[in-house]
Amino acid sequence: MKDIVVIKVQSNPKYLSIVRGVTAKMGEIYGLSDSATEDVRLAVDEACSNVIKHAYEGDITQNIIVKFRMSRKGFEVLIEDRGLKAHPESMEGRDLNDIRPGGLGLHLIKRAFDIFTFDDRKKKGNRLRLVRFRR
Amino acid sequence: MKIKALDHKGMKVIALSGEIDMYSSPALREELMGLVHEKVTPLLVDLKGVTYIDSSGIAVFVEGLKKMMPYGGRLKLIGLLESVREIFSFSKLDRVFEIYGSLEDALNS
Repeated sequence: MKDIVVIKVQSNPKYLSIVRGVTAKMGEIYGLSDSATEDVRLAVDEACSNVIKHAYEGDITQNIIVKFRMSRKGFEVLIEDRGLKAHPESMEGRDLNDIRPGGLGLHLIKRAFDIFTFDDRKKKGNRLRLVRFRR
Repeated sequence: MKIKALDHKGMKVIALSGEIDMYSSPALREELMGLVHEKVTPLLVDLKGVTYIDSSGIAVFVEGLKKMMPYGGRLKLIGLLESVREIFSFSKLDRVFEIYGSLEDALNS
């Protein structure tokens, strides 16, 4: 049995605070520690920012669907868009010793979640699956 | 996020509060780069009112610092809350930025 919460927001950065707020609340309900909740909140924010920047190329009139699924196994977040296909094979965060703007978001997502995968069954757009196992 | 530009003992201080994310970071960038363009140094950024920062906010500070380096400018970050400081630490930027606990510490350095 999984508890599921779904939110849909416009791809406008001004609504990222809503995504963060819901994510933090879901982390709290799931029983994540305060620091884990902060990490997860930041990671989901970064993932949605990436959707706006890359999948929608800055188009703020599209939609992002964020699904939270909570089970005994873990805390799962699915982020869906109908934008340009992501190319996970070419995604790489910058070397953290290479000090330059950008390239940090992917590191922040991967430190919060144990699984980071794109569902290639989705025909149009992307479905990013993030899972943090119960620790 | 709110931005206040102040003069403190003859030095420029940008006081920020709220959350820095993809929505608010362009305003921060405009403010910071305006002062960098004027080659203001040292440039003090008071972050004690900032409760959240994402990678877009971090990128603004990295860009500002890099643009200040050629003229020997100093960018001093002040009063980071633990959660904000942790992001700088994770990204190894605490080794690159001058980070101070208080405005007085930053002024005296």
